[in-house]
Amino acid sequence: MTRALTLLRRRLVGSVFVLLIVVVGTFLLLEAAPGDAVDAYIVSTGGDAGMIELLRHRWGLDQSELTRLANYLWALLHFDLGQSVTFSRPIRDVILERLPNTLLLMVSATALSFGLGSALGIYAGARPGSFRDRFLSIGSLALYAVPGFWLGLVLIVVFAVDLRWLPIGGIETLASDKTGLDRAADIAVHLALPVAALGFIYLALYLRMMRAGMAEVWREDFVLAARAKGLSRRRIVLAHVARNALLPLVTMLGLQSAQMLGGSVVIESVFSVPGLGRLAQEAVASRDTPLLLGIILTSAVLVIVINLLVDIAYAFLDPRVGASETGT
Amino acid sequence: MSDFTISRRTMLAGSAMLLASPAIPTSGWAQTPKKGGRLVLAADSEPRNLNPAIVASNGVFFISSKIVETLAEASFDGKDGLAPRLALSWEGAADGLSATFKLRDGVKWHDGKPFTSADVAFSALEIWKPLQNLGRTVFKDLASVDTPDDLTAVFKFARPTPFQLIRNALPALSSVVPKHIYEVGKIEDNPANNAPIGTGPFKFGEYKAGQYYRLTKNTDYWDKDEPYLDEIIYQVLPDRTSAASALEAEEIQLAAFSAVPLADLDRISKVPGLKVISKGYEGLTYQLVVEINHRRKELADVKVRQAIAHAIDKDFVVKTVFLGYAATATGPVPKNDPQFYTADVPTYPFDVAKANTLLDEAGYRKGPDGKRFSLKLLPAPYFNETKQFGDYLRQALAAIGIDAELVNNDSAGHIKAVYTDHAFDLAVGPPVFRGDPAISTTILVQSGIPDGVPFSNQGGYKNDALDALIAKASETLDTTARTDLYKEFQKAVATDLPLINVAEWSFISVARDTVGNIANNPRWAVSNWADTYLES
Amino acid sequence: MSQPCRFLRTPEAVAGAILLAALIAMALSASLLFPGDPQAIAGPALLPPFQAWSLPLGTDRLGRDVLAELFHGARTSLAVGLAAAAAALVVGAVVGTLAGFAGGLVDEVLMRITDAFQTVPSFLLALAFVSVVGPSLGIVVIAIALGTWTGPARVARAEVLSIRERDYVAGARVIGMHPLAIAFREVLPNALPPVLAMSSVIVAAAILTEAALSFLGLGDPNRVTWGGMIAEGRTVLRTAPFLSIVPGIALVLTVLGVYLAGEGIVETTAVRRGLS
Repeated sequence: MTRALTLLRRRLVGSVFVLLIVVVGTFLLLEAAPGDAVDAYIVSTGGDAGMIELLRHRWGLDQSELTRLANYLWALLHFDLGQSVTFSRPIRDVILERLPNTLLLMVSATALSFGLGSALGIYAGARPGSFRDRFLSIGSLALYAVPGFWLGLVLIVVFAVDLRWLPIGGIETLASDKTGLDRAADIAVHLALPVAALGFIYLALYLRMMRAGMAEVWREDFVLAARAKGLSRRRIVLAHVARNALLPLVTMLGLQSAQMLGGSVVIESVFSVPGLGRLAQEAVASRDTPLLLGIILTSAVLVIVINLLVDIAYAFLDPRVGASETGT
Repeated sequence: MSDFTISRRTMLAGSAMLLASPAIPTSGWAQTPKKGGRLVLAADSEPRNLNPAIVASNGVFFISSKIVETLAEASFDGKDGLAPRLALSWEGAADGLSATFKLRDGVKWHDGKPFTSADVAFSALEIWKPLQNLGRTVFKDLASVDTPDDLTAVFKFARPTPFQLIRNALPALSSVVPKHIYEVGKIEDNPANNAPIGTGPFKFGEYKAGQYYRLTKNTDYWDKDEPYLDEIIYQVLPDRTSAASALEAEEIQLAAFSAVPLADLDRISKVPGLKVISKGYEGLTYQLVVEINHRRKELADVKVRQAIAHAIDKDFVVKTVFLGYAATATGPVPKNDPQFYTADVPTYPFDVAKANTLLDEAGYRKGPDGKRFSLKLLPAPYFNETKQFGDYLRQALAAIGIDAELVNNDSAGHIKAVYTDHAFDLAVGPPVFRGDPAISTTILVQSGIPDGVPFSNQGGYKNDALDALIAKASETLDTTARTDLYKEFQKAVATDLPLINVAEWSFISVARDTVGNIANNPRWAVSNWADTYLES
Repeated sequence: MSQPCRFLRTPEAVAGAILLAALIAMALSASLLFPGDPQAIAGPALLPPFQAWSLPLGTDRLGRDVLAELFHGARTSLAVGLAAAAAALVVGAVVGTLAGFAGGLVDEVLMRITDAFQTVPSFLLALAFVSVVGPSLGIVVIAIALGTWTGPARVARAEVLSIRERDYVAGARVIGMHPLAIAFREVLPNALPPVLAMSSVIVAAAILTEAALSFLGLGDPNRVTWGGMIAEGRTVLRTAPFLSIVPGIALVLTVLGVYLAGEGIVETTAVRRGLS
């Protein structure tokens, strides 16, 4: 328990620095962008010089970068993410509205790619070099090589337009006033295609990792011993080989959590899912610096927490991870 | 005051032919409208400020015009191309110093309070003139609004203002919002900007960011028979291909503003139950324009500009980039404008040899690599078509020895690069013609505009004669004389080419057969849809 | 057994090598077979494939030769992939080596920066960076590298940590070599193999990221890339599916080829290292 606490404390201190780098870096990046929120806004309206000046003043864009960064950090210290210029609403509310959708999409897609990927990986890795091993491994790679947006568009045409089994997008039926289980089922149906598109892309990752991990475990002493004891192949595969090969996949889960949000930018856009990824894209396009900062910060905190959980889980699962672990 | 006499309908018939519209199924058009039903349609952007009195743009009107009404709306057959809405009649004084509006009786705001001339006065003086993107120009000389009674509003101008301009501005610039809601606190921060309250046939229901806007029927609308629909839902579909899929999957019934890409229209027009409609946008003409930075010495030479004009195959652009859903342009006023357009201007037919000769004459001979000079070309990213035309223009310029490098920016970056930093040589822009050249067209070539004003002359072009002509037209009160000045203006622009007008286009709607009364006015997509209905 | 033979032992590696060879051949022959600008308008718009001899794969929305674009696209896609991977590997190896070798505060600072980059979704970072600087091929390469250098940095650091205590490093210290010289001459070369093993993954990811950026309208408009072709073709996905299918297949085959060949190389070298 103390081990986990030490790890936790070290991580928290490190995380504060990480978050500071993320915030300042993102701020500077977006400030360097050509055009500000007003430029992005007047694309659809036009306006004369006076109106533009008025807008810049109202949105606080006539202050210097440093002042705005300082103000932002000061507010952040009070757990205030500030106001979105484009939504004219508190950023916390805007993000909290979208976060569940993205989390749902990411968790489901991860579950799909992790679950199906590792299962197929075990199936393939049980007989290394066999036809099914090669077929699955190359097949999943081919899926990985398909651009996500393209896979999404094809899924829509096949399952939503031609077969009409599933809706073309969105998170739930519009303005339907469904509640409880009805609503949950409705959301599940709407998320089926985006989860498939996002999950299948990362399937290869877990499948191939599982397979590679198993290939390595096969050669280890305890497996050889188990084989010598005459245990059934199925038993060896599941109880010894797969179990040990699973550990690195857990680490991968943590590392992948950030990438999933990136991948969801495109998927959310193709399937019109009102999530954080699409919101981030809109924030960049509309030069809504505080909003983008809020999203990146949320995702960074999320990633840090997930990795922390993964590490703690790992520390309990695998006795080889010692307290002296370098922990980066 | 004399009035322009060519019937709008004749002109529109001509332009409809230019627009090469596919056959419009007429089933259901003459039927009696049914009551009830929910219309679901695609929306590709989410305007945050829904107050059309502050933000007069098509993106806002698309949603808000059903909630907040204007004094008058565009019409195919009304006098001066207008139909009454909140105003029943309008008249300008001969001296151009006042304009009188008689208002509709028995109109109520969505919160039940009566609509009066005080609301019009408040909207005009406190919002249109100081805050509205377009009103700041058109109503700049508005001094006061008298309200002798509840149903009369008299606009008083400090300087003579052509009534033709005010009239032409009515459909887009005269959204009336309730005084009693907006007189408390700062207008820009009023919550009604995000949940508008108006007099229109529909009330604002709810907005779920990233998902939908819901409008509900106003049961207390001044026209007792209307509206027919119970609800309008705008489904947010950010991806350019989803509207077509959603229509086919019968999840939405309408996709306006060319939400279905032009290249997909031919296929989708063959899908049973769907119709493609190219009418209903005549009052919303976009112009495909090559903006020129005259600070570049090569481009400051009119021969070079003429050469570029000759290098562009406008018919190819209309046929390939717009797939026929556009018309070639001759000058700064679109062909489908019933009041101002003149064909009597110099034209630049597609002629590569002539373009090459002009460039040789200008002294820019081809180097050993076949290139005369290089320049930066910035296509505006807002439309697929502007980007595609950018790709085409690069090839067209290569054919006459001009090496163009395309620079791709997102919208904010493009606005900043072209209109503030002037970091371009050529740009492709889509300015909008808003029914009168004085609203947003003359500004494209006029000099003396401060840096940073979008959709204005930021190319450093200065022509004293043209500036004088624009100034004279802006204070000419007589409609015929004013119209003639704008014809002269078109000739001057086409002669000196401060910018090159390539094509004019508008939008296409795709709808299910069951949607009735579509496209029955020139600004249909941004009108109030009181008479739109759904069959069963 | 010689190395090439060992490399060609598995059918996957052979397939990967063939795919890669074909890709490189396409990239190299593009200017010979299709001289001039591949974006030039060559015929009527939206000509389907196998209709005209001179335009075997048909034309796109503006009438450009799809086959010519495909060949020239091979060149840019490969260039983007290789350049981004090279940049990511170099930056990652240098940062990782410095961190691992120097230890202490330098290590702490560098690794916190690495953490920061790793907590931000790399695609989001690439998207923001390209929006800010403006899309050109070089910027797209940098944007992709920004999001991918952290992996190599971590691997390099881990390797360096295990190498720096070895005898020959201690020996170099004794003879008074400059620490930086030790780091980059003695330690880095030995830490490289596992870092290089990541290159195929990064090349593949770079090609896909370029495609996704093009999809969002953030590609270099002056160059043909397969991602750009797919993005262009998607608006006519139903009307002219070949426009996105043809470059899509090319993309899938390339990523497969890069992966399989990369794996073959890793296995070959792993065996070699295991033997030595």
